[in-house]
Amino acid sequence: MTALAPVAGELAPADRRKRTGRAHRFLRGLLRTGVHLLAVMFFVSIGTFMLLEFVPGDPAVAVLGPDATPQQYDEVRAELGLDRPLPQRYADWLGDAVQGDFGSSLRPPVRDVSGIIMSRLPVTLEIAGLAIAMALAMAIPLALWSASQSGGPGDQAVSATAYGLISIPNFLAALILIFFFVFRPDLVRTFVFAAGLLIAVGMLARRVPRVRREHPEDRLRSMGAGVAGAVAVAGIAGLLFLSWPDFPRQGFVRWTDAPNKLDNLRSVFLPAFTLALIEAAIFFRVLRNDLVTTLQEDFVLAARARGMPRRHILLREALRPSSFSLVTVAGVSLGRLIGAAVIVEAVFRLPGLGSMMVDAVAANDFRVVQGGVLAISILYVLLNLTVDSLYKLLDPRIRRV
Amino acid sequence: MSELLLEPVVAPSDATTRRRSFLGGRAGAAALTVASLVALVVGIAGSPLPLGVRLAIAAAGAIGAVRGARILASDIAGHPVDVGFWLAAGWLLLLLLSAVFADLLPLGEASDVSKTLLEPTLVRPDLLSSHPLGTDRQGLDILAGVIYGARVSLLVGLGAVAIGAFVGGAIGLLAGFYRRGLDRGVAILSDSMMAFPPLVFLMAMVAVLQPSARNVTIALGIISIPSYIRLVRANTMTLAKREFVLASRALAADDRRILLREILPNVVLPVVSYSFVIVAVLIVSEATLSFLGLSIQRPNPTWGNLIAAGQSDFDQYPHLVFGPGAVLFITVFALNRVGDRMRLWWEPKSR
Repeated sequence: MTALAPVAGELAPADRRKRTGRAHRFLRGLLRTGVHLLAVMFFVSIGTFMLLEFVPGDPAVAVLGPDATPQQYDEVRAELGLDRPLPQRYADWLGDAVQGDFGSSLRPPVRDVSGIIMSRLPVTLEIAGLAIAMALAMAIPLALWSASQSGGPGDQAVSATAYGLISIPNFLAALILIFFFVFRPDLVRTFVFAAGLLIAVGMLARRVPRVRREHPEDRLRSMGAGVAGAVAVAGIAGLLFLSWPDFPRQGFVRWTDAPNKLDNLRSVFLPAFTLALIEAAIFFRVLRNDLVTTLQEDFVLAARARGMPRRHILLREALRPSSFSLVTVAGVSLGRLIGAAVIVEAVFRLPGLGSMMVDAVAANDFRVVQGGVLAISILYVLLNLTVDSLYKLLDPRIRRV
Repeated sequence: MSELLLEPVVAPSDATTRRRSFLGGRAGAAALTVASLVALVVGIAGSPLPLGVRLAIAAAGAIGAVRGARILASDIAGHPVDVGFWLAAGWLLLLLLSAVFADLLPLGEASDVSKTLLEPTLVRPDLLSSHPLGTDRQGLDILAGVIYGARVSLLVGLGAVAIGAFVGGAIGLLAGFYRRGLDRGVAILSDSMMAFPPLVFLMAMVAVLQPSARNVTIALGIISIPSYIRLVRANTMTLAKREFVLASRALAADDRRILLREILPNVVLPVVSYSFVIVAVLIVSEATLSFLGLSIQRPNPTWGNLIAAGQSDFDQYPHLVFGPGAVLFITVFALNRVGDRMRLWWEPKSR
């Protein structure tokens, strides 16, 4: 460092020039992204607005059906502004929408569309967020375990399961989970218990040969640690078996309304788990494949030659350089899950954005459909943009592109 | 998406070493296959056993059967055979044939309730009876419903892919070839389309149009356009820089000839292999829409509305949901499997 100091002084002006150039380029990139994004949002808003123009016949009749009074028809026409020309209608609608006013619903009970959206957004975000957390919690340990014995029977079984899970449609996964968790809870409970015991026995069985190789003085301590771990796993399995919660088939308890916060978690567990299962399969595949590649690198071989334990190599050496694709996929998945939540909310009857859309589409309530589509797509675009810029900050390699 | 679906490649020596090590050659493999198939049938049809046991037996049977068949086939052919792929392709062929010839098959009634007044209702599946997958609350045959539903799924899936590949392919070809302003405009448009989560976009379109097979096909075709634009544009851009394009330009070929005779034939192969995966996605989308009641309505059977209709009784009669559900899952799985395999054949680089 000290030897380099005079050289660094000479280099300073050039370095500064390079840095201003980089800042300039960064700003220009930002500006270009901003313009692109504005254009995208403009087209999104036009697309959303034009929905109504494709309704065959009189929209008021489509909304209310043939049996309403003339007065009711007039109210709907006034709300939709059908007496004004198209460009003006669009301008009015966009002006209101930019200020967060999406109009009011067309069918009784008449409510503020942005009010409906704001009351339902937290539900969808809770499910999506929980799903990602659960998916990561399942995918990362499994990927580490699989990659550490890639090609072995355990890895093949888990990889094949992940491949199969990706092919299960969301709504079918939801129904499968309902069938087992709601209708056959004892089966699931027993299965979880048996799996826990099996894992505990497996842990012990794998520890025995390792203990045998150790120094006689360490054997007792090492075996004790192994037994403690196995007992802990078996204990958790037993606790789960004894206090297995009842999962509701449908319905939702709001976090703020629940006297017992567990009621809220119980009501969102199955929907979030549905999304998490499929998401975990995707995360698993991405992380496992990257890990397998990383584990063939020279620095891993070097660590192994230094006699580093397997756990250290996996967690400290290989995980971080393998996680870039996972970060991207996990980040983008939040936006995707908000779309996928539509199905899960409909199956479990949760009061989120998705079930709002399904109900509005079934009832031809175009104002709610428009508001929902616009809100979801803008959320989606903004989330993806955030992930993109975060990713650029995390990975120096693509910052300059 | 499609990149995530890559099947881990099975080591070529896998089948042969396994055979030598513990199965004792061809006879052992044949025994394993037969025993596994028996286990599979017992698991599916053995109704007196408890559900958990049956599921375990069926799963073990399916895995064992594929393993045994792979060892056997590899041994007979003299080189490793990917039995899973051939099973997937066979399933798709079977599905296609039964959908096309559904009217000629000796099936029960699938949609007209007035014809099933004398039929037994809520019959459980029995593969050897006249209602192999059972009947629903109105006595309608589930197998017939699944096969007529396959018609809708395949028609909608293939039709939508044809629309998406044709329109998206043409736009992607032009954007990738001419670049500049056209490319930027196309990028903004396709990004705008991708900003709508697909299902939300579909629901919005269905809200406005009437839910018929034709309209659902068009809607699904439109949402698959941007992914084709991306695929074809990227391929065109790399191809346009290649020497054979330069050579044909030196021979005074005009743009039209270069696009249609030089670039297009090279773009078609990746598009076809990608289309299997897209058909799978679109079949799932159609099933989801009709499950939500936003696509083709009862009494016309589709996989989605069969599952939705069975939902009310499925605590006691799980076959109403899991019969059509299993067919949907196997089809999607088979399409993904075949698509991945095609990509390996046609894009040796991704090996």
